[in-house]
Amino acid sequence: MKPRPAYRVFRVVALTFVVLSLLAPLLWMIAASFKTNVDIYDPGKALSFSPTMGNYAKVLQQANYVEFIVNSLWVAFAATVASLILGLPAAYSMSRFNMKKSALVVLMARVIPGVSLLVPWYYVFSNLKMVGGFGVLIISHMFVSLPLVVYIMMGYFDSLPEELEEAGLVDGLTHIGAFRRVILPLSVPGIATSGILSFIFSWNNFMFALVLSDADTKTLPVAIFDFVGYASIDWGGLMAASTVVTLPIMLIALFVQKYVVSGLTAGATKG
Amino acid sequence: MTERRDDVRRRSIFGTSLAVVVAMGLSACGGGGDDGGASKTVRVTLANHVWTENIKQALPEFEKQTGLKVEITQLGEDQLSDQYNVKLNAGSSDIDVMMYRPLQEGRLFAKNTYLADLSAQVKSNTWDFSDFQAGPVEATTYEGKPVGVPIITEQEVLYYRKDLLAKAGLSAPPKTLDELKAAAAKVKAAEPDVAGFVARTGKSAAVTQFSSFLYSFGGDFADSSGKAAVNSDAAKQAYAYYGGLIKDSGPANVSTDMGWPEAMAIFTQGKAAFYTEANSLYKNATDPAKSKVSDQVGVAPFPAGPTGSKPYNIPSWALGINSSSENTSNAWKFIEWATSKEQTLAQQKSGVPGARSSVWSNPEGTSSFPKDLVEAIAASTKAGVGHDRPLVVKVAEAREIVGQPIVDAITGKDAAAAADTANAAFQKFLDDEAK
Repeated sequence: MKPRPAYRVFRVVALTFVVLSLLAPLLWMIAASFKTNVDIYDPGKALSFSPTMGNYAKVLQQANYVEFIVNSLWVAFAATVASLILGLPAAYSMSRFNMKKSALVVLMARVIPGVSLLVPWYYVFSNLKMVGGFGVLIISHMFVSLPLVVYIMMGYFDSLPEELEEAGLVDGLTHIGAFRRVILPLSVPGIATSGILSFIFSWNNFMFALVLSDADTKTLPVAIFDFVGYASIDWGGLMAASTVVTLPIMLIALFVQKYVVSGLTAGATKG
Repeated sequence: MTERRDDVRRRSIFGTSLAVVVAMGLSACGGGGDDGGASKTVRVTLANHVWTENIKQALPEFEKQTGLKVEITQLGEDQLSDQYNVKLNAGSSDIDVMMYRPLQEGRLFAKNTYLADLSAQVKSNTWDFSDFQAGPVEATTYEGKPVGVPIITEQEVLYYRKDLLAKAGLSAPPKTLDELKAAAAKVKAAEPDVAGFVARTGKSAAVTQFSSFLYSFGGDFADSSGKAAVNSDAAKQAYAYYGGLIKDSGPANVSTDMGWPEAMAIFTQGKAAFYTEANSLYKNATDPAKSKVSDQVGVAPFPAGPTGSKPYNIPSWALGINSSSENTSNAWKFIEWATSKEQTLAQQKSGVPGARSSVWSNPEGTSSFPKDLVEAIAASTKAGVGHDRPLVVKVAEAREIVGQPIVDAITGKDAAAAADTANAAFQKFLDDEAK
């Protein structure tokens, strides 16, 4: 049955509205990154302006952004991988052995506001002489991404039928072997989802990096604030830097999304 | 049973050693820190500011002279504040020299003993502490002891548009607040698209720029005995004047959430004739890369109210030494150099107003400023008031309280009633803080 024309019109209008309102700030940011500071404030030049590459030149050459990008990538990547290595077995055992209380403890870590941990963390890590290094950034980001991984994967493992592992055990696998050879390959979509969420969190995290990083380990969200001065704000540079921060994560998300979908359709228990 | 216990122990030993290995591995990739103790490296935390850029450029000269190494961490003002609150609270010795805002957080830092007492250091002869202006020094003194050295000063001035004044038939910028009101109305009548007057409107942001109006009407946030005074007759008039001016001659549908970036944008886009703001922002108005009206901007001294022209004259930034620093003598060497007459002169030549009188009286020291700005600054430093916000520990909270009547006046509510409410709240705040 074909949908009624009125419904189709409504659908187009509603979709356009949602898409425009979601994309407008993003488009404004990208447009502003090609404008001079005078033009950014001029509503008359919202759409028609003579583009400049000056802001990007500033971001990539003067402001040393390549280094901050490498820092951010490394911290986000390491925190995500470490969270997956620790989180996947943890989630698996919590799901299979019904460890409700342990799961609750892990969740507590997400409930505590991160800002309340900054002072104790700083104290502990500065006594360990770790402040300013990558290690402390990776550990602090894991504090948030590990529970994320555990919770997403617990739900995912719950949905996988136990019969699959039992079949593996009957064929002579150990529990760990079954986890590694049977469960993990089936969990790729879940791993991708929790991995990308953990990566995005780490990439965007500002608070932990602000206090625990130093000039050499500064990550992108902290570096962006270099464009905000006491008596001057370089909006063009700020917008170009924000675009540089946003683009990689959008590309990664698009790429992994495809992967997630293909993982979903290639399920093992069809029929 | 025994078997099982062994098993547990073995596992826990394995777990512990794994944790140790991980921790060691991670700390190994942490930035090693300086090996030579606290001696040769001075760690300096600075705000994003033109001053900081200048210091960074001049730094090699200092490093060569002294053989010290200076490590600079640079952050935006709020991020800087957050970082101090975490690091200094934890008693960190990672910071030796700190750039801070004496009026915004100076009292808090001094009360929490984050700032080292500099009484002994400032006696240095060649450096000449007596050369610093009295107002700014007062703001960096806590309980009679100097805890900071002012580096950048700030006064409130009146920015105006020469072309719009000429069009409205005005030959000179207004000298009094009454004239300002009339002139703003005149411009708005002559050019309906252009606001006669613009200024900060955000509850907290506006407080500092409103303070000069308050003083010029004869008021202050607190009276000489430390009691809340924001409902005095003078204060009520000042609130009504400031709010009324923006309501009647300000931009149409004005937002009550504007800080300097928004208000300055209206001015630099050519949409307002008068604008009262800190002189430290003048480059935003006169730089053609940021302002459409750069060639038409004039600067005048703050207009006189019933008790004369009383703009604030404050140190917006100062340098202090972290009291937990293990490197105070080298930290002081850095401060001594960065606030020396030569450095202050060099800073001032690049447009950063300093706190040393000798540099202001030196013609070279004012050569780079527009002529009218120098005159406006000279007038402000003469009669200026040494604070631009309530002198309390919890400044942010106090600003919210005393700023509310500004917003109420702009939106056309009864300013006097709002001032009474604010005064009661402010008195309670002061009582709480005194406990």
